[in-house]
Amino acid sequence: MAFEPEELSPEEVTDQVDSVIEDNEVVLFMKGNELMPQCGYSKKALALLQQHRDDIETVDVLKATDAYREALERHSDRETIPQTFVDGEFIGGSDILEQLDERGELAEKVGQ
Amino acid sequence: MDEDAVAELIEEALPEAQATVTTPRDPDDDKHYAVRVVSPAFEGESLVDQHQLVHDALGDHLTRDIHAIELTTLTPEEAE
Repeated sequence: MAFEPEELSPEEVTDQVDSVIEDNEVVLFMKGNELMPQCGYSKKALALLQQHRDDIETVDVLKATDAYREALERHSDRETIPQTFVDGEFIGGSDILEQLDERGELAEKVGQ
Repeated sequence: MDEDAVAELIEEALPEAQATVTTPRDPDDDKHYAVRVVSPAFEGESLVDQHQLVHDALGDHLTRDIHAIELTTLTPEEAE
């Protein structure tokens, strides 16, 4: 399976980011996808979210990493990946999901 | 950007903050840091806002000079 990311223009990425955040309850922008996470932090974030939700919309930013960083920064003030959004609200990267989990606050935050 | 510089940035921006910066993975990988920050500035702030305070302190350094951080934020009581 040759992995060639289809070329996404920055505008397409920006539109996609805006609509995906708006149209889904739980969104995870990650490196890789659910079956093949490409980075430890993305994998950790996905696993934490999957404990509480089975309807996570994942977006693989590797298709256009720089464009996704820019588009995401407008929503979260950050360019780091992964990024989680719940009901349109920026939650954070894998570290905050982990800290929320440790405090038993994750379920409530991501809305069972 | 090394551990001390990262800690300094945070401690300058956040009142009475204590930042401990370590390299969680392999020691010579200076791009990924585990950062533990204790500060009274976190009191009454949600966890998301606490993390945002630290990210704001790092500004553009994050992703340009520092690839990624694993952040833990604590108030002084929580850190006891």
